[in-house]
Amino acid sequence: MSAPVAASPTGLADRDELDLGLPPSYLADGHGVGSWLLTTDHKRIAILYAVTITLFFFLGGAAATLVRLELFTPEADIVRADTYNKLFTLHGVVMVWFFLIPSIPNTLGNFLLPLMIGARDVAFPKLNLVSWYLNVGGGLLAVAALLAGGVDTGWTFYVPYSTVFSNGWVSLTVLGVFTTGFSSIATGVNFIATIHMLRAPGLSWFRLPLFVWAMYTTSLMFVLATPVLAVTLLLVFAERSFGLPIFDPARGGDPVLFQHLFWFYSHPAVYIMILPAMGVISELITCFARRRIFGYTFMVYALVAIAVIGFFTWGHHMFTSGMSSYAALVFSFLSFIVAVPSAIKVFNWTGTLYRGQVGFESPMLYALGFVGLFTLGGLTGLFLASIPVDVHVQDTYFVVAHFHYIMVGASVSAYFGGLHFWWPKITGRMYPETWARFAAILMFFGFNLTFFPQFIAGYLGMPRRYHVYPPEFQVWNVLSSSGAAVLAVAYLMPLGYLTWSLLFGERARNNPWDASGLEWRTSSPPPRDNFFGAPRVQGGPYSYHPEGVAPIHDQPRIPAQGSLT
Amino acid sequence: MSGAPGEAGAAAHLREPWSELETGPAAAFARQRDGATFGIWIFLASEVLFFAALFLIYTAYRIANPEAFAAAGRATNIVYGTLNTAILLTSSLTMAMAAQGAEKGLFRRLTLGCLAATAALGLAFLVVKGFEYREDIEKHLVPGAHFALRQAPAQIFFGFYWLVTVVHAIHLGIGIGLVTRLLVKGWRDPDVLTENPQVEVTALYWHLVDLVWVFLYPMLYLPGRAG
Amino acid sequence: MSAGPDTPAALWRRNLPVWAALMALLALSAWAAYWPFKTLNTVTGFAIAGAKAGLVLLVFMQLRRASGLVRLAAACGLFWAAILFTLTLADVLSRLAGG
Repeated sequence: MSAPVAASPTGLADRDELDLGLPPSYLADGHGVGSWLLTTDHKRIAILYAVTITLFFFLGGAAATLVRLELFTPEADIVRADTYNKLFTLHGVVMVWFFLIPSIPNTLGNFLLPLMIGARDVAFPKLNLVSWYLNVGGGLLAVAALLAGGVDTGWTFYVPYSTVFSNGWVSLTVLGVFTTGFSSIATGVNFIATIHMLRAPGLSWFRLPLFVWAMYTTSLMFVLATPVLAVTLLLVFAERSFGLPIFDPARGGDPVLFQHLFWFYSHPAVYIMILPAMGVISELITCFARRRIFGYTFMVYALVAIAVIGFFTWGHHMFTSGMSSYAALVFSFLSFIVAVPSAIKVFNWTGTLYRGQVGFESPMLYALGFVGLFTLGGLTGLFLASIPVDVHVQDTYFVVAHFHYIMVGASVSAYFGGLHFWWPKITGRMYPETWARFAAILMFFGFNLTFFPQFIAGYLGMPRRYHVYPPEFQVWNVLSSSGAAVLAVAYLMPLGYLTWSLLFGERARNNPWDASGLEWRTSSPPPRDNFFGAPRVQGGPYSYHPEGVAPIHDQPRIPAQGSLT
Repeated sequence: MSGAPGEAGAAAHLREPWSELETGPAAAFARQRDGATFGIWIFLASEVLFFAALFLIYTAYRIANPEAFAAAGRATNIVYGTLNTAILLTSSLTMAMAAQGAEKGLFRRLTLGCLAATAALGLAFLVVKGFEYREDIEKHLVPGAHFALRQAPAQIFFGFYWLVTVVHAIHLGIGIGLVTRLLVKGWRDPDVLTENPQVEVTALYWHLVDLVWVFLYPMLYLPGRAG
Repeated sequence: MSAGPDTPAALWRRNLPVWAALMALLALSAWAAYWPFKTLNTVTGFAIAGAKAGLVLLVFMQLRRASGLVRLAAACGLFWAAILFTLTLADVLSRLAGG
């Protein structure tokens, strides 16, 4: 029998036309709203997450667009000061908690983790679905606060402003973030248990792909950092809504305590955003350099070290907040230490590229962009970890540029890189490679044009969070806003051509990149049960060319085009 | 009932994705149980951080305001506090008995009875707490304009008191719900609790809620008694 | 695992002494709070709470015979709480000392 190729995203996975007697793909295994909203399949939950974080990404992006438009000129043109405050708060809250934190772990991680370890699903499939609902519920509360009138505290909710003075919908927003925190915890519990208990036979810890290690360390931080955020927000909620004296200095409270608790979560949260990105990049660079990862064990230890040391450094956000100078010195020192494992990772990626057969497919372009942007963001982090420099640039655009290099330049590049790399596996379709390469390059240039001028403006003294500024900073702001326009196009392009590929893209082969991971040893897209038979693992990850071995030239690189076989 | 350990439980409770493991059902079920126990312990570690953050707030303020915290601690009702501690510790005993009974799968009546006792003790705690709250309100121990104690930081103590006891009561309420759920299931179907990992998971959560109170007792009720 | 008691009476024999110890510790704790010392009373109160927690953890929560993995999870919770306490109190105490 040969059914016609259906023109719907789920129909494209209909394997009837092949008539090989294989089970249907996870996309074809059940239709209708219920089969998605009540699914316990980790792959479908990944898709649910992908849909919601995409919506939040463009919501947060819209707020950023308005901010950059306003900053095009030194005067107030389109929004008032109050609206401006609400816009950057919305941008921060949405991007941090509803896009970046769940981005790679909950979409790519959810989809790939069981596949990479040869499991049928995560350890607690129902909890996985609950986590998505918690995320959506929290997001809806935050969006409701936005529709009701917005919040002007900034994403950090600093007390006593947020608890005593602000007139916005702080409590509702805080409740939304609180709720979504439990989604993170649920995901963390699930991933840790999955990696410990459900690895395929033969898959020992030091045979795990680095992406799995990244998910493991990220989950560790989910579980151990997020509850402290929950308490912090609960205290803000209690002080604001019930008038309990907790942080208000007028009633004997200590606002610095709030900052300790907040940054105990929010600094590790930066590593929650970057560790998964590092995992993705390790997969991409090895595949497209056709090289084993340089220093696998060091890469593992570096991930673990970042996850642990990342918990010791939060005080560097508080150098100018009235923290004691002794504590500031300790935190400064600890912050320098965390740069060491990060540097190890950059060196090892570079070492992997050395003498590799580097190909420049679109995922690799994103990966190479990541390495550059992460290095720049990381190095400027050292400026900020050193107290004298930090006192000078605290609360300027230097800080804004620094953390955008890490959180947007690095993490979002990695997310897009991973999305392109695994797109054929997830959807069963190839995207137009030329468009993808163009978008990747455009994103790199747009990003640098947006944020590099902010380093300079910040170093020259332009403070953050103001909608008007002295005219001498205009040149940097015009550059930055122009870059933002380029960046917006670069972010919208994948939305277009990836959607196009769902309908018209070439069908993907099982392993279009000739990659070595276990997730490629099944059909594209995979069946509900992930594998045909039970996988067994007989060797380490990245079985590409080892160090010191010449590339095999009689095996031509397989082009990235798909075919039906 | 007296088959090889794990077989009856595996038949009743083995779930995806554990059922796909390449082992016999008994071994797969043992792994599922281990996974459930491990999973709840990870969550408990998370809860430890949750309450640690609250306790840290208390510690920092108590170090800064020892006199006011002593005065405020004296104002709490140690009789209610001690009684409630005893109630919760006893409920942990019955919960542990229920879990150990269900683990063997041998003593259905013991398990059900202990689960019922646990839920009842939890409710008793909430009732006592309700009486205590009423007394606290009558004695103007709610932070605000009519607060009873002179020292300003005593208000912070009671801000913490109300927050942390309510958060604890919510945790306990969830625990009572979980225990009741097991009780109803076990009542309807005699075999459902046998070797069911959910009993162990519920028990571990219950004990944690108890442990939180064990530390709240010296924090809230014991300061300043000597003065 | 099968070495444990296999009658209800044996289960009670195992758990009741722990409960009795917990009650005794509670009584001691309430009494010690009225001792005429200041710091010592506080230390005693929290030490007894720690002892009670230890009993519940080891016996009721079965940490005594738990796998290494479970013990590791429990230890992680305490270790990270220690990080939070140590570094925050380092700031709070040095600010108090500095006036």
